[in-house]
Amino acid sequence: MATTSTVSRVRRQLPTSPWLFAAPGLLITGAFILYPFVSTLINSFTDRRTLVPGEFVGLANFRELLHDDMFWIGLRNSTLYVLGVVPALILLPLLLALLVQKAIPGITFFRSAFYTPVVASIVVVGLIWVWLLDDRGLVNAVLETVGVGRIGFLSDQWLLLLSAMAVTVWKGLGYYMIIYLAALGNVPRELHEAAAVDGAGAIRRFVSVTVPAVRSTMVLVGALSSVAAFKVFSEVYLLAGPSGGPAGEDTTLVMLVQRTGTGLTGRVGYASAISVVVFVVTVALMLLVLRADRREES
Amino acid sequence: MPTSRRTFAAVAVAALLMPITACGSGGDGGGSADASGKVEGEITFQTWNLRANFKDYFEDVIAAFEEKYPDTHVKWVDQPAEGYADKISADAAGGTLPDVVNVSPDLVAPLAKAGLALDLDKAAAKYEKEYLPGAWASHQVPGMEGTYAFPWYLNTGPLFYNKSLFEKAGLDPNKPPKTYGELFDQALQMAEKTDGKVATLANVPTIEDFGRYGVPLMNKEGTAFTFNDAQGVELLAKYKKLYDAKALDPQALTATPESSGKKFLTGAVAMNPGSALDLANFKKQAPSLYKNIGITDQITSTGHVNMYVMGVMVNAQTKRTPAAVAFAHFVTDSARQMSFAQRVAIFPSTAGSLDKPYFTQEDGTDETRVRVAAAKSLKSAVNYTPVLFSEQMKTALRNEVAKALQGKESPKEALDNAVNACNRLLQQQG
Repeated sequence: MATTSTVSRVRRQLPTSPWLFAAPGLLITGAFILYPFVSTLINSFTDRRTLVPGEFVGLANFRELLHDDMFWIGLRNSTLYVLGVVPALILLPLLLALLVQKAIPGITFFRSAFYTPVVASIVVVGLIWVWLLDDRGLVNAVLETVGVGRIGFLSDQWLLLLSAMAVTVWKGLGYYMIIYLAALGNVPRELHEAAAVDGAGAIRRFVSVTVPAVRSTMVLVGALSSVAAFKVFSEVYLLAGPSGGPAGEDTTLVMLVQRTGTGLTGRVGYASAISVVVFVVTVALMLLVLRADRREES
Repeated sequence: MPTSRRTFAAVAVAALLMPITACGSGGDGGGSADASGKVEGEITFQTWNLRANFKDYFEDVIAAFEEKYPDTHVKWVDQPAEGYADKISADAAGGTLPDVVNVSPDLVAPLAKAGLALDLDKAAAKYEKEYLPGAWASHQVPGMEGTYAFPWYLNTGPLFYNKSLFEKAGLDPNKPPKTYGELFDQALQMAEKTDGKVATLANVPTIEDFGRYGVPLMNKEGTAFTFNDAQGVELLAKYKKLYDAKALDPQALTATPESSGKKFLTGAVAMNPGSALDLANFKKQAPSLYKNIGITDQITSTGHVNMYVMGVMVNAQTKRTPAAVAFAHFVTDSARQMSFAQRVAIFPSTAGSLDKPYFTQEDGTDETRVRVAAAKSLKSAVNYTPVLFSEQMKTALRNEVAKALQGKESPKEALDNAVNACNRLLQQQG
């Protein structure tokens, strides 16, 4: 039983104790998230370069963005990436989860196999896909054998972007499949049974029972994958090369940040302005998904 | 004793702001340009992806230096090739640049402008005569007085070609192209005979190619690029013809030196520039190609082949200027460079070294043939890449060249746009 003096000592210490417990987390957040964020925001209003501190230039960087063709190419490609990848990553992992949900012998092997790309290094994955899609790669060899002829997956700007999207979807399937598996486990079996009794077929049951039951998970997957897709870098960089594809036409916004702001002659201020745009669009995407979800609910 | 709320807040804010104060730009000075003092103290030496293959060599060099100057200690760090410029940028911005740094001329220029590279014309002028004049000048920056790195090893290389592909295309494998005209004609014939399946070249023209073609790259003052003249347009128009005929590989627009090297290894392209280092690679990875390998000189319209120069820079902020300058000179002196060249296919930049029998006498093998030819051409070779030509400029040129090859812009429009973009970047660099 606590004495009066112990209680008063604890009370005196209370205001600081929670802060002390939170201090490590706060410090890490401050140093690696808050400080870089604020620093990027401040830099976006300066003409700072890698080795030159720079001066305040107001909105000059943002005005320059409006006239920079490469910025618009990056914005177009990042947006297309969201539009191409997100629907696939909402639907395909759900179908995959339905496939591997059933507890039949050997299903663990398939679950693991579908999850393997998630843990594979993106660089290794990228190299494998480059090898597959090269003009003289396996895919083109097969296409040539069946009489279709070679297709320039890595030399045509649109095919390159589509190929990168395919890699993103392939690599993300397993991750979102696991999320859906957890959600599907919570769907009452009785609902499916009742629908079946009422004469609903597999497709009808999927649309009327499964989809509504995992709708909130689909929103989550949509939000996560849209943010990741808008910030895509590795897949496009590995397939299209550092120049961002033919004439830079496959450059994404994050690639543009990397190309503009790094190196000894990097334009840190300008790259920061692009980063701020990426941040704003990312937040807008999240809000859009959440708003769509609320509207659906109401 | 309980901490007061104010004290805690002050500590938290101080801790939060600590990284901010640590991230100032550049060092706070304190370095001296005077290298005449006693050679002593600990210095750090950074190399560019050399530890994996040359650990013993560098440990021997460091041991020899420390023996010569017993009061010194050299700490050697090696950085991977990937992201080397970014690592130097981070160190330079954070004030942690090593005392002695392995650099290339394009890395030296921004460091010199930021006051981070020691001017050797002031601190080590006495050593200038030990190096080839062209090599010493390679680390001078237009618009600035001074020389900002010791020249280290040089490299150049021949043009390799696949004799069996030449033969299949009806070309004489013993008569490779010697001029640009021959190169373009033979490339078109190769594409025609193989129905576009074998390209002759795998890379779009770079700034070096424009230089070798005889295009003036910059004005004399180093204040503006000039590669959009009639000769530059002519070269790009010829490449456009090659691209349309598939004599230039369709994936050339996104190619890297590594990817084009692989294409040559697999017989997808018939010619590729390289160096003496590549011969061992061919022998190991593509023995059938090695049996059919043809070696010819780099094609140039100027009479001067292209060379790559490595340098060793002294950090202008170093607290150990005498030791840093002495070590940078020690690593790049004639004896050390000769010893390094005997371990790997590079060439010394020191005066007279290329006249030694190792670089002038063949023993009948391809290796010595390539080495002797390269050493001979290096005596008049030129580093065509302007030191002010940054990575961003390379990308701008590459993208405009790609637009011309795709027919989205005329060669003239593309080069005008590239020059404008590069000039804009040059102005922004200050």
